[in-house]
Amino acid sequence: MAELKGMTGKIARVDLTSGTVTVIEPEEEVYRKYLGGSALGLYFLMKEGIASPDIHPLSPENLFQVMIGPITGAGPNARSVTVTKSAYNFISIATSGGHAASELKFAGWDGIQVVGKAEKPVYIAVMDDVIEIRDASHVWGKSIEEGEMILKSEVTAELETREAMIRDADLTPEWAALRPPKREGLGKKRLAHVWMIGPAGENQVWFANVMTEGARAHGRYGPGAIMGSKNLKAIVVRGTKGHRLADKANFMRLVKEIQQSELGNYAMRTLGTTNIGSRANLIENGYPVRNWQYTGWADPHIKAIDGVFMDMTSYVRKQACPNCFIHCLMTVEVTSEDPMMDGILTDMPDWEAMGQVGGNLGYFEMPGATPADPFTGTHVDEAENLAKLQFTTFLFDNYGMDFIEGGALLAMLMELRQRELITPEDLDGIDLQWGDVHAVEAIVKKLVYREGIGDVLAKGAWETAKYFAEKKGKPEIMKYPQTGRRYGQPAHGTRGEDKDALEYVTVSRPCEHTGGGGAGFMQGDYAAAIAGQNNKCATDSLVACSFGSGHMAGKVVDLVKAATGWTDFTEEDLFNVGARQYAMARLFDIHTQQLKDPKEEWDKLVPDRWFDDPIPFGIHKGETAYDGDRKKLFDEALPAYWRERGWTEDKGIPKIETLKALGLPDEVVKIAEQHL
Amino acid sequence: MESGGSLNRREFLTLTGTGIAGLVIGGVVGRELFPKEAPPAPGPTPAAPAAEAPAGEESPYKAGYNLVYDPYLCTGCLSCATACAEKWAAELHPEETKDVVNLEFSRIRPMRFQYVDVVNMCHYCQLEAWAEGTDEFPCQFVCPEDAIITVPEGEGKPGFYGMGYKWVDQDKCLGVDKCWRCAEICEDQFGSGISYDPISKKAQVCTRCGGDPECVKACPNGALQWVPQLKNGRYFAQSPTAAAELLYRKMYNVRRTL
Repeated sequence: MAELKGMTGKIARVDLTSGTVTVIEPEEEVYRKYLGGSALGLYFLMKEGIASPDIHPLSPENLFQVMIGPITGAGPNARSVTVTKSAYNFISIATSGGHAASELKFAGWDGIQVVGKAEKPVYIAVMDDVIEIRDASHVWGKSIEEGEMILKSEVTAELETREAMIRDADLTPEWAALRPPKREGLGKKRLAHVWMIGPAGENQVWFANVMTEGARAHGRYGPGAIMGSKNLKAIVVRGTKGHRLADKANFMRLVKEIQQSELGNYAMRTLGTTNIGSRANLIENGYPVRNWQYTGWADPHIKAIDGVFMDMTSYVRKQACPNCFIHCLMTVEVTSEDPMMDGILTDMPDWEAMGQVGGNLGYFEMPGATPADPFTGTHVDEAENLAKLQFTTFLFDNYGMDFIEGGALLAMLMELRQRELITPEDLDGIDLQWGDVHAVEAIVKKLVYREGIGDVLAKGAWETAKYFAEKKGKPEIMKYPQTGRRYGQPAHGTRGEDKDALEYVTVSRPCEHTGGGGAGFMQGDYAAAIAGQNNKCATDSLVACSFGSGHMAGKVVDLVKAATGWTDFTEEDLFNVGARQYAMARLFDIHTQQLKDPKEEWDKLVPDRWFDDPIPFGIHKGETAYDGDRKKLFDEALPAYWRERGWTEDKGIPKIETLKALGLPDEVVKIAEQHL
Repeated sequence: MESGGSLNRREFLTLTGTGIAGLVIGGVVGRELFPKEAPPAPGPTPAAPAAEAPAGEESPYKAGYNLVYDPYLCTGCLSCATACAEKWAAELHPEETKDVVNLEFSRIRPMRFQYVDVVNMCHYCQLEAWAEGTDEFPCQFVCPEDAIITVPEGEGKPGFYGMGYKWVDQDKCLGVDKCWRCAEICEDQFGSGISYDPISKKAQVCTRCGGDPECVKACPNGALQWVPQLKNGRYFAQSPTAAAELLYRKMYNVRRTL
């Protein structure tokens, strides 16, 4: 095969049952259709029949993949993406920043696929062409903070560990006498990068993450649980081969232009996504507060909900992904009167955590007050409230699980407690009151280690609600999980001015907030919305970053051309990557769940609160999604969107001619035929 | 080819002999040391070998300057490494690297730990002979082939006149398969400033780009600075893990053993 540029043309296939590693070399045509990352990962899932209902997500047969794309490496804003079947039995695609993504390209791989199950805990060590399956018993059970640093030190070049050559005679007498050599050789370098799971992944908590660099996460739909089910603790990568490009000069020129543009992104460069807080509260009315009973605070003096205040209390420095000038992650050291939280090291947190395990858990009000009341505390009280949010973020990162789904779960339990639909006895004696960070810590531990009620909670908000609805004989409990298609709704509301509900209903990953097309949905322009969604899929297949995509606008096709040498690559090709991902993801979800009526059984699984509970105060007071009319959403907007995609209007199944026009493989067409 | 460090004694002596013979200081050496097909360097013409700039202009070449980084401002974006790697790959292996970006060519090595980034680089040890037994660079001192040399200020590679700079003679360096003493002495007693060329396997040492470092120009955050030398470089040098451990203490009041 001709040598590929941009991509390496090689994917490592690790079978943990047999302990073997093989190499997959996809045809260039496959790369042209799917690029890499999310779309390519999904292609392999479909091709290998992982969408079959017979393959249990937590069984050895499931396929777990870490993928990168043609511009990952020397390209801007490098990211990696995990693609697998989620423990929730739908598609799991999750992206993360971090240096490991570029490193995998430098090692000479476009991705790593893992099947089977190891007998004992293992990790995969990638040192360029050499891939080893190594014992991980010494790090099993360890948190992200601890385990990652141990594994980082273990994957080194042969040179870095070989015996030292220097003898005393090589030194000056002064050096030999006063500073005896340590004979450490080069063992003090830490050049490898690590993707790993924490205790949550080991215990197969359904929403466990794959983490890197302490606080970066493949954070949604539980890829960590799948790694855990395979007894795979980590993948550690060290690469020295570089990134081969068709037109290096042009590629690097584009990268520099994108970086220059990023330098002007003041908001993200100073505060990261924490700059969203005040807008979400005061303008969009889209801040999740107390399980979305509120969408903000009546008193504008509550300031701990925005990055400006966070910076004053705790930001230490900024961290970037490879080749990114936005550096949206700020590291944090927490200062608190509470010894449990004082001195904790975490990231800022990001907007999603601010909402999901901040406002949503009632952390920002003084005891006894509601979000509708005046704020009576001081700036120091605000800092202490913020510490609770940062500590909870640390818990989720360090155990390695999704704070969006986890926040939706905890907030739901707190609301059930508020409404006395459950009692502390239902939670093994833990009294989950709004704002009680110690109760949160106790319940999170139970959940991670699946002790007592934790075994139920580990399946997420929707399953927990079902469990309590049945146990307590109270079907009304199903009103309170804030989940879309059985997965936690992120910190973006549908009732104010943030997102159109249809965006959450149509996005290819259940209730994803970064699916793109937001403006198109708000205006009811579904062609524009679909273009946005497809564009985001291309970003996830390249694999680049949403935050950088504005700066990459108009340059993406040129980047792909410069990387790969496909001189006839066009905007339409890019668009079609997304169209393929959407068609495959839709069929994957329908097929693995064997849905007979997808609209009723799947698309309509959204929170009642969107339609039934008007926003209590604020600029959008009284508003609901689609004026509270579900029919407008599901019987008018949704079929119109499906029509625009070339899918059937009754069930949203991609039509055969649509699939064929996109050149999707027979495996995909056959699945569609079964469900039309 | 022999592997490991078991260098044949005779071979060692032979190579050392040629090493000494080759060590002649001055512009003549330049022609032998520097690649024959090196592209013309930007900046002042070779005819103006002084750090002095025309009146009213600041010279980019600054003798006696040193490279320092601010661990708070560094974001670990790797721009410095990309700039360095691209410069030296093009300089030393233009044909082999015309379509590849490989950070292994970089003399400056940013390393990401959790929440801290260590920029690992040569600190140009300016040693005091009474305390150290030599004022040579340690890497230079232990090199059995005299492959690491210091080109004096005002001499050497075109465009590199502004300061005395270190240079690795590609013909003399034995390469990592046979010898790695320069990197070992650096790591054991000083910093971790030496890396090796992934193609030739010869040692890579920062030249400071002869006084106008590319890495400094590439840094988007002002984290890398090119400043008048403040101290003996030994005081800046740490092994990467030692540096990271100290930064955890300083930045976050956390004690970690790495």
